[in-house]
Amino acid sequence: MARADFFTGIALILLSLYVIIESWRMPRLEHLKVHPLSVPGVVTAFVGMVLLLFGIILVIRSIRRGGHRLRVTHEGFRRLFNHPGNQRLLLTAILTIGYSIFLIGTLPYWLATGLFILVFILLFEWERGMNGVQRRRGLISAVLIAILSSAATTLVFERLFLVSLP
Amino acid sequence: MTVLIDNLARFLSAIAGFITPLAIFHIAWSTLLGIIIGALPGLTATMGIALITTLTYKLPADLAILVLICVYVGAIYGGSRTAILINIPGTPANAATTLDGFPLAMQGLAGRAMGVATSGSVIGSFIGMFFLATIAPILGNYALKFQSYEFFWLAIFGIVISGHLTALEDPIKGWIAGFLGLLVAMVGQEGIHAYERFTYGTTELLGGFALIPAMVGAFGFAEVLSVMRNPPAEKAESPRDSIIPKLADVLRYWRTIIRSGLIGTVIGIIPGVGEDIGAWVSYAVARRKSKEKEKFGKGSIEGLMAAETGNNAVVPGAIIPALTLAIPGSAPAAVLLAAMFIHGLRPGPLIMVESPQFVYQVVAMVFFATLAILIYGIGLSKVLLKVLAIPKTRLMPVVFVLCAIGSYAITSRVFDIYVMIGFGIVGYTLRQMKYPMAPLVLGIILGDLMDKNLRRGLVLTDGDLTPFFTRPICLVLWLITFSSIILSIDPLRHALMRIFSFCGSQTRQLLNRLRG
Repeated sequence: MARADFFTGIALILLSLYVIIESWRMPRLEHLKVHPLSVPGVVTAFVGMVLLLFGIILVIRSIRRGGHRLRVTHEGFRRLFNHPGNQRLLLTAILTIGYSIFLIGTLPYWLATGLFILVFILLFEWERGMNGVQRRRGLISAVLIAILSSAATTLVFERLFLVSLP
Repeated sequence: MTVLIDNLARFLSAIAGFITPLAIFHIAWSTLLGIIIGALPGLTATMGIALITTLTYKLPADLAILVLICVYVGAIYGGSRTAILINIPGTPANAATTLDGFPLAMQGLAGRAMGVATSGSVIGSFIGMFFLATIAPILGNYALKFQSYEFFWLAIFGIVISGHLTALEDPIKGWIAGFLGLLVAMVGQEGIHAYERFTYGTTELLGGFALIPAMVGAFGFAEVLSVMRNPPAEKAESPRDSIIPKLADVLRYWRTIIRSGLIGTVIGIIPGVGEDIGAWVSYAVARRKSKEKEKFGKGSIEGLMAAETGNNAVVPGAIIPALTLAIPGSAPAAVLLAAMFIHGLRPGPLIMVESPQFVYQVVAMVFFATLAILIYGIGLSKVLLKVLAIPKTRLMPVVFVLCAIGSYAITSRVFDIYVMIGFGIVGYTLRQMKYPMAPLVLGIILGDLMDKNLRRGLVLTDGDLTPFFTRPICLVLWLITFSSIILSIDPLRHALMRIFSFCGSQTRQLLNRLRG
């Protein structure tokens, strides 16, 4: 956690410095004769300064705990990617983000949704060593869930809530 | 006395208003859905309310809020089933329930444990509801005296206390989450001069990040990622004994029940703290006060009762500041507050002036939701077990589809789906690094309030900071806020202790000299 805190602290310092600089560059609106303490950058600068303070504390604390010593090894990366949980996480992220960014808006909503659910279930449920009957049964239930979910969300949002679907 | 009778009349009229077939239908399905959402590990009350909000756009405001409150109460209760049967809290609010609920199930007393959870949740909700009905109007009237200075400190107080109590081991992470939330709220046109902050010329960001997509992302998508990363949960088995709550359990532990109900309500009122802390504090106090301390953690009925009473009492407690100050007491209440704004309701200090009846309608909603969990608690057991058996690989893609379409449906903008994705990834990453989500949400909600009131206050005083520190309520708020910060940062605490001990020794020397 100390290493994660070190990186978060650095990111926080960079973010807060950016916020403070941007706040400084925000207009002072002198031509409108507004009070200098009601200008748009006051509160953002305040939030930026608090975050900067927290970022510095986080970095100092993690350095004391040895978080700055980076031990990046090939073995470490391999272990990270071979962890079954991380593999599931990566696959979920690819499928969900792919559906949201590439499928929605490109294909009709019902088709994009049906395809996403079908592929999601099949990729996670099909395992090596499954026999033909198991695979067929899995495929049928995945197709059914995909059709039902896609039809239900399309009908509810398009017909009942009158949302024009992407 | 007349005020009391007036308030009672308003409450009864609100109750009568919901005794219609349509309202009862909405209570029935939404509480059941809430219980199912709560029971499914990975689906939390906050996520449930955020998702269901997207299904209530077309409903009239009162029915929409009724549905959301039923989901809220149902989800906090529903999580106890999973905690008892498979030792996994259905929602974070039920984490303390696992300590005694699961050992009871292992002893073959799963049914009794569920009965205790039902009675505790129902009584806890009723205790919280009583205080919602009595405190909210008083606080609402009192809040009319609040000015910009008090509102600024309330926002900071909320962020700091919520950050502290939701990250007790490392409060700085809670505060970082809270201030990141404030920063998120700064995006878009600001409310005084309409200057566009951090919008980079995009029209989509002019109104800032939309609340519901952000919360659906932080709680929905982030939870989909977490659930898929974790290994599959164990399968729950049907209880062998009766799940009907026993009056003897209630009578035997009435002191614990009332105490836990009070603790839950108070914790609910504190901004952004929430049901999980309510349950833990109630459990800890019950253990300290118990005559059967040795049973805690090994299947104590008293411990289970305390945890379940405490978490459900937080629900009405958290609605109190949301209604009267527009400051949510918990993360689910934050989404509820956002939903109220979407439906054109205006919670805040003017609520008792503009629509006092609405406060009693909310009390009536909690009342009906509580009745519904009692009915489902007695009757529902096998259906829930079937729901718990649904593999996550089939449930999660459907949940994600709802996250995406729900975010899109508010304004029909694909951009809001990207907002949901962004907040989901950030939320997941922060959660993995032990940053609590409640202060982040609170920050997003309170950002505008803090921004406007700090600047307004400074203009009113011509840049003089004195009223921010000397007005009585401000004084209390900043003292608590600063004490919380100082006492949790080790170097600052040690410096303070050294100062105190130095002052103490100097005073003693002086007194000794005077005596001598």
